[in-house]
Amino acid sequence: MDVIVLLKQVPDTETKIKIDADGKSIDTSDIKWIVNPYDEYAVEAALRLQESDGAMVTILSMGPERAVEAIRTALAMGADKGVLVDDPATEGSDALGKAKVLAAALRSMDFDLVFCGHRAVDDDENQVGIMVAELTGIPHLGMAVSIEVADGKARIERPLEGAKVTLEATMPALVTFGGAHAVWNPRYASLPGIMKAKKKPLEQKTLADLGVSPDEVGAQAAKMQVTSMGLPKERQAGRVLEGDTDEKAKELTRLLHEEAKVI
Amino acid sequence: MQPGHFPANVIFLIVFVAANVFFLLTIHKLYKIVRLGKPEDRFDRAWERIKGLATFVFGQRRVIDEPAGWGHLLIFWGFIIITIGSIETFGAGIYHGFAYWKFLGKGLTGGLYLLQDLLCAAVVVALFVALYRRFVLKPQRLSYEDQRAANLDAGIIIGLILVLIVLLFGARAVEYLLAQGEPGGYFPKAAFVSVALSGLFAGYSEQVLHGWYSFFWWAHTLVILGFLIYIPFSKHLHLLGAIPNIFFRRSSPIGELTKMDLEDETVETYGVSTIQEFTWKQLLDLYACTECGRCSDNCPADLTGKPLSPKLTIHHLKEHVQKKGNMLLSQREAAAETSNPEGEAAKALIGDVCVEDEIWSCTTCGNCMEHCPVFIEHIDKYVDMRRYLVLMESKFPGEIQTVLRNWETNSNPWGLGFASRGDWAKDLRVKTLAEAGEVEYLYYVGCSSSFDERGKKIASAMVKLLNQSGVDFGILGTEERCCGETARRIGNEYLFQTMATELIEIMNGYKVRKIITTCPHGYNCLKNEYPQFGGNWEIYHHSEFLAKLVKEGKLRPKHGMDKNLVFHDSCYLGRYNSIYEEPRSLLKSIPGVRLSEMDRARNKAFCCGAGGGRMWMEETLGDQRINEARTEQALVLGPDIVGVSCPFCTTMFEDGLKARNMDDTVEVLDIAELLAMAVGTKED
Ligand code: SF4
Ligand code: SF4
Repeated sequence: MDVIVLLKQVPDTETKIKIDADGKSIDTSDIKWIVNPYDEYAVEAALRLQESDGAMVTILSMGPERAVEAIRTALAMGADKGVLVDDPATEGSDALGKAKVLAAALRSMDFDLVFCGHRAVDDDENQVGIMVAELTGIPHLGMAVSIEVADGKARIERPLEGAKVTLEATMPALVTFGGAHAVWNPRYASLPGIMKAKKKPLEQKTLADLGVSPDEVGAQAAKMQVTSMGLPKERQAGRVLEGDTDEKAKELTRLLHEEAKVI
Repeated sequence: MQPGHFPANVIFLIVFVAANVFFLLTIHKLYKIVRLGKPEDRFDRAWERIKGLATFVFGQRRVIDEPAGWGHLLIFWGFIIITIGSIETFGAGIYHGFAYWKFLGKGLTGGLYLLQDLLCAAVVVALFVALYRRFVLKPQRLSYEDQRAANLDAGIIIGLILVLIVLLFGARAVEYLLAQGEPGGYFPKAAFVSVALSGLFAGYSEQVLHGWYSFFWWAHTLVILGFLIYIPFSKHLHLLGAIPNIFFRRSSPIGELTKMDLEDETVETYGVSTIQEFTWKQLLDLYACTECGRCSDNCPADLTGKPLSPKLTIHHLKEHVQKKGNMLLSQREAAAETSNPEGEAAKALIGDVCVEDEIWSCTTCGNCMEHCPVFIEHIDKYVDMRRYLVLMESKFPGEIQTVLRNWETNSNPWGLGFASRGDWAKDLRVKTLAEAGEVEYLYYVGCSSSFDERGKKIASAMVKLLNQSGVDFGILGTEERCCGETARRIGNEYLFQTMATELIEIMNGYKVRKIITTCPHGYNCLKNEYPQFGGNWEIYHHSEFLAKLVKEGKLRPKHGMDKNLVFHDSCYLGRYNSIYEEPRSLLKSIPGVRLSEMDRARNKAFCCGAGGGRMWMEETLGDQRINEARTEQALVLGPDIVGVSCPFCTTMFEDGLKARNMDDTVEVLDIAELLAMAVGTKED
């Protein structure tokens, strides 16, 4: 069984985000990059299949050279090999553009299952996985918190408000993963894992290798444009009101009314 | 069968040689087991080692730290003196005319006999005290899971020594009488106890006396040889283990964990999960244990009911290593253990012999090692097993994973954005090295004082003091990194080495020469561990540095405070680096401060509970939290302030006070904060 995990490198969630001069993107100069947490759950799910069913796990990512680090992280966890599509022409792609590239890459690979996080924590679009399924012509099982494979079928569970639904699809299929860290507890790479990861095969591809024309992707092909980006107001230090209860209540109502403008 | 005459002397020789051969074979096996361990160089500083034997073996320096140790000192010396006596006795067993006085002279022999009689009599008293202590007082520290076996073992040994002394005195008394009647016979009268006891045999015929002599002689000889055979199988193996163990004691600071070679690609496993992965010295440690229980009596984990008792760890390891070692050395033993489902073959070092909760409960406070009379090194064993669990199995308390990730991405355990590391200093008068270029001192702030709200106050007090005294210093600001100390103690040597290399590169890039820290953990790590990776600087803990500034008159604590203050020693400052006086001298320099000491202070100080990565683990086991236990010890003294010298201790005490609803009445303040108040810095 071949499982391919689509993996995105995203800024660490604690990074102090700075908006770039263009006002539409973030300044990437001072950023620590991590594996998108939901993709990490996907890696964990794939590695469990590797243990139980001997699945071959391949990591597929697109992004600049630095994304190699994210792929190595997954290889250190136990994935077998990696592929990175690194082409400057992909820069500025919208979700559909990214999905096209990934789908093209999948076309040249064998797979029974494609896994990915249901969203990436950077732009939070919840789209690429589903689009890849569509472009590849395979069923999509969304927001899985568990996965089982038997008789050529993949079965997942997804929580609903106060309930749970079980979904099934014939393979090949694409599964997007939801849940939380506590649900998946993605493994921590062992030292031998880290050492081995340095030697595992990691292929780098360009659009030309995939037979994708640069016109189909990138900023100019994007059907959706980011028009502006802004940061929320910086949190202010708490204030303790002085005086007796009456005065405090009055002052509080005044502040809520005049400063916070919520009442 | 008169001793010293044929055929008794031949029989004696045969028995003597047989017992010794058996003894040597047992020792040889123990030696081979120790040699199963990995190599480790413990032959440096030979002269120091030899001096150590004089102090710690013959002087029993650490043993007599406790009242019971004086009894041991007596028994120890008594035993040596008895052995000298026994050599004479054995000599006489080969040839009846053998006697010390014939070649040592009467004067010297008289002195020796006097000493022997005195010590033997004193030993008898000490042995009864020991029996009373073990069987009547029953101190907690002498408790073992199998108390009967432990008591039996101790009983046998004490009994044997007692019997031996009685027999020795008996033989001496009779010898004295016999010497009277023998032409040219001599027996020193100085042996006053023996002479006095001879009264018991007065009036017997020479023949009867000879009979008694034979009896005493043979019984004494057999007891000694029996003892020789029994020793290696009992806790008295320490008679043999302690001496080499003290000789080979570590010469490096206890705060320096071993550097793992992570470059060597042929290495397949990291850390320790089988006995052969310990070094020979770590195995030798086990033979040296006297089962005195001092380690556990000082262990914060054990005293608060955690599943960790250093004395039991050592005991379990010793039992396991002996059986497992035999298995590895002999196929017959291996077959026996394998066919037995309860046998040692099925036992895993981690999981059966030592359990994970035990390994993770250690705060690495060093109290066990500080008080072990035979210099057993407990901490390294726990850390080595952690190394296996973390590096090989990725197994650790769940909460640790997040912390490790936080270090990896943001170089701090809280996982706060690395770019905000210097934010604490925004409104303070302090330059970064990037701005200032070369400065005399780098103030290495560390994670706690950079990111934790409480810790930041310590850093700003420190900055104010440094400015006040005109010290030329700077910080790294955003460029600073975690020192990795805690990651190392958690067992993640890989992460630690990555962090250390990175930090060293940054510091050396700025040509840093002198460093001040406000965290004892960073202090210890930079000072004792970074040299392993090429980080060599002069390191000062702020207690040393501030004490120096006060002494030089650069800081004048003039504002008094009318307060009762209890000072808590940080483990990594005190036991790890022997800094006890400096923080105290600082506190004493503040007018009006009344300093009081807890029972467990200085090298006996009880850990706050945060060391060894415990700061980042849940404390759910045991019957009390370590920080609350320590807070109670401080509260007994009715302090207004608990003085500390470590940001982690600060947090632990504040939490302890909150748990007791005392956080409004008692304050926890770092020495820098206290000094800043007393100095009244301009910037306030
Ligand atoms: S270092 Fe401290 S916590 Fe660990 S075993 Fe020794 S005394 Fe106990
Ligand atoms: S390890 Fe040391 S302190 Fe602990 S019981 Fe053994 S000899 Fe005593």
